[in-house]
Amino acid sequence: MTEHGEGGSVFRSRKFTDWPTVTEALSAGEIGAAFILAPLAMRIVSNGGPIRIVYLGHRDGTAIVVRKHDDIRDFRDLRGKTVAIPMRYANQNLLMHRMMKQWGMPYDSINLIELPPPDHPTALAEGSIDAYIVGEPFAAKAELDGFGRVLYHTKDIWEDFISCVLVVHTDLIESDRELVQELVDGIAKSGKWLDQSMEHRMDAAEMAAEHYYFQDPELLKYVLSKPSDRVKYTQLAPLKADFDEIMELALEIGVLDEPIAFERYVDTSFVKPLDALDWDMQRLPSGHERLTESDQ
Amino acid sequence: MKLKVTIGALVWAVMLTLAHIQLNVGWERLASELRVLVGLERPELIVGFLPVT
Repeated sequence: MTEHGEGGSVFRSRKFTDWPTVTEALSAGEIGAAFILAPLAMRIVSNGGPIRIVYLGHRDGTAIVVRKHDDIRDFRDLRGKTVAIPMRYANQNLLMHRMMKQWGMPYDSINLIELPPPDHPTALAEGSIDAYIVGEPFAAKAELDGFGRVLYHTKDIWEDFISCVLVVHTDLIESDRELVQELVDGIAKSGKWLDQSMEHRMDAAEMAAEHYYFQDPELLKYVLSKPSDRVKYTQLAPLKADFDEIMELALEIGVLDEPIAFERYVDTSFVKPLDALDWDMQRLPSGHERLTESDQ
Repeated sequence: MKLKVTIGALVWAVMLTLAHIQLNVGWERLASELRVLVGLERPELIVGFLPVT
């Protein structure tokens, strides 16, 4: 996120360390927009929360990770094991249930426990869990640190998997559509630029590691390149078919209490065709203008 | 008498407004929103995120 968009508006990113705090800040209007888990966004709207999904954060970028030398070779081997998920309202939770269904396993055949994403690799290394499913870079971390092995990338088990979505406060949508459009356009253009070349991805990894994630640049470079389609930043328009599948799974396992219409929680009016979007590189701010706030 | 009531009501309304700004809005935020309103400044948007995909 840069300080100034092409339209001159000021965008600041604020880093949070847990989902409840970011959703509270959003509902209270302290922040106008946020990247949060897709089922969590649906749940908030279902409960009357003042947000709408306007775009996706990325596609794929999640993996099931096991210990390198454990004899877990396919999903069936996770039967009776303890697997960490980021949150009950995460699409990773729904994916585990989707997989259990596909493999003909009862929903209680794997012990799923909630753990904050940064704790997943440590818990696996210490042996308190047998596997975890989480968004990057925490899957890659176990691989790079030498004790973890990816059992499945989401791209291989749920094509174009959705994890995080961009949500915007409804007050902002009503009061300043132009600002929301500038944000969505900026994310779309950034995603297009990222997926254009490996050189762009490596530049982005350096910049994000230093200014936003505060993590080892090599870890982010690994995430964005091993393999190159491990996480994707195009096809970010929210599609009804994708969300209908998420909703059906969420209803089945009680993550949602009742069906919710796509039009109630998604506003697709900010989505433009990618062909119509490109960064004007001459107008982008320089690196020193990037700003990030830290919440905690 | 009528004038006194009118002035009193106006003073009361102004005091309530000032108290509302002080307690609920904040002078800095008000100034910023006014600058945006008159076109001196572009609006600012804070986007929350967790460092995980």
